[in-house]
Amino acid sequence: MSAAQTNGGGGVILRLEDVHTYYGAIHALKGISLDVREGEIVTLIGANGAGKSTTLRSINGLNHPRRGRIVFQGRDITNEPPHEVVKMGISQSPEGRKLFPRMTVRENLEMGAFQRRDRANFKEDVDRVYSLFPRLAERRNQNAGTMSGGEQQMCAIGRALMARPKLLLLDEPSMGLAPIFVEKIFEIVREINEQGTPILLVEQNALMALDAAERGYVMETGRIALADDAHALRQNEQVRKAYLGET
Amino acid sequence: MNRRRPGFVSALGLALVVLLVIWLVGNFVNSPSEFVNVLFIGLNYGAVYGLVALGYTIIYGILQLINFAHGDVFALSGLVSWTLLVSWLGITEDSAMLVTVAGILITLVVAMAFFAAVNAGIEFVAYRRLRSAPRLAALITAVGVSFIVQNVALAIYDVDFRSATGLIPRTDIFVAGGVSYQWNKLFVLLVTVPVLILLTWFVRATRQGKAMRATAQDRDAAAMMGINVNRTISISFALAGALAASAGLLYLLSFNMRYDTGFELGLIAFTAAVLGGIGNLTGALLGAFTIGLIQAFNEGLTWYTPGSDWTRSIVFGILIAILVFRPEGLLGERTPEGA
Ligand SMILES: Nc1ncnc2c1ncn2[C@@H]1O[C@H](COP(=O)(O)OP(=O)(O)OP(=O)(O)O)[C@@H](O)[C@H]1O
Ligand SMILES: [Mg+2]
Repeated sequence: MSAAQTNGGGGVILRLEDVHTYYGAIHALKGISLDVREGEIVTLIGANGAGKSTTLRSINGLNHPRRGRIVFQGRDITNEPPHEVVKMGISQSPEGRKLFPRMTVRENLEMGAFQRRDRANFKEDVDRVYSLFPRLAERRNQNAGTMSGGEQQMCAIGRALMARPKLLLLDEPSMGLAPIFVEKIFEIVREINEQGTPILLVEQNALMALDAAERGYVMETGRIALADDAHALRQNEQVRKAYLGET
Repeated sequence: MNRRRPGFVSALGLALVVLLVIWLVGNFVNSPSEFVNVLFIGLNYGAVYGLVALGYTIIYGILQLINFAHGDVFALSGLVSWTLLVSWLGITEDSAMLVTVAGILITLVVAMAFFAAVNAGIEFVAYRRLRSAPRLAALITAVGVSFIVQNVALAIYDVDFRSATGLIPRTDIFVAGGVSYQWNKLFVLLVTVPVLILLTWFVRATRQGKAMRATAQDRDAAAMMGINVNRTISISFALAGALAASAGLLYLLSFNMRYDTGFELGLIAFTAAVLGGIGNLTGALLGAFTIGLIQAFNEGLTWYTPGSDWTRSIVFGILIAILVFRPEGLLGERTPEGA
């Protein structure tokens, strides 16, 4: 637990302390502790059902933890409703994209900026998203529900960027995409990060996620099993066997 | 979703539509002026049904809840409008025209605001806690709220009918070749059309309207965009309540009403919403005008017409026919549940 325990002081933007989250009686998170620091990409990997998406739902207020604490920029957000969490600067591209299917691409992007009052920069931000994803510019007036999976994924990421987040949560941005699209998405994730946004990246594609990230956490059935530098995790015997498909 | 329809069932459906068209054309040829006069009546039915049907469809769209209480909220709003207009403002048939119009407009605004609050209150008290409960729980609750609202109306207004049908004169605006149009008919449209324009503007162009559409399409995603979902749902109920109150006042100006008027009218408006494709605002209006016209034609035409005794059978026959032939309604999209 060395990396997770490091007390980065001012550098830590998000901290989860012993978070327990339930779905009814199902105990999905059994004490998650993790940090995200300014400027970094942190990845959260693990098998299906480990609790990665639930961790994100706990952070963004859709599923409040029953125990533990979530602190963002020094503020306790454990029990804040989702719209307040967004207002504070955490936005998300959720698992399965969750676009508004009967709104156009442009309207979806507009919804991403919903909680922002500064309409002045809106155009600039839309243009930034279009320059990251030229395909979206071509499709701007198409209903989001009618786009291909890859296009929808771009739109979901673009929509999350429209909030000008201080922290970006990405849940399986490469899911269901062709290898060439996956490369492209990871390139853009790096680019967004280089422009200054810290990212918490949930991924099935552990290899690429660990390549992109500075640090990583490995989840197993509701717990953090491993926490280390991404590079160290890539070398880790256990990780290589379980998640990188090596024998 | 390829549901196979037996050939003879769709043939039957087609035959019904053909019969309907023959009947309408026959009546038109038989007496064009009667046909047009009846059509005007149908537009008014359609307007009132539409204002109520929109409430069903807005709530269904955002919560997937059939708000059975909606018809009763409509009826109570009509009765409360009567109290405002007749008891408190003292408007009678003898009032000066300007006074009457001002009184009606004041009543309209006050009733819409009041029932916006009432309907939002109903959501807050009765439905909010059940949002993640099984659908059946919310549905049963809606039936319960329907009884409560109806019995509140009964307790306050007893079983007597209230009416304010004489306030808008039934004098002709024009008569031409047997076709005539009266002020009381025009008045209904003079209220309905601006209300609908306002609603369209609200849903299409305002921040809150966009939040409503987003919440209806994906509630979790809406929350992740920073939309206050609870507030958006409250506003949707307020909107539905205000629309019901506008319908309540219009109905009061045309017909007698009492505590249970909302039961049947609510079912008809619900049928209209299903006919148009529940969840779809334009669809609700389309369904409402279709049913309003069918009702008026059935009650007013004379050439091979079943007559008013058959109106209910026909309207609910239509409901069954839609569920069989086109469960998603005229403008609705097929949802995963196939509803
Ligand atoms: N809505 C729900 N109701 C009940 N249990 C749920 C619900 N959502 C998730 N769970 C359970 O919580 C656990 C964690 O699920 P979660 O979606 O967080 O996993 P995940 O790590 O994101 O998996 P995946 O890689 O498949 O996306 C699982 O056991 C899952 O069955
Ligand atoms: Mg997941």
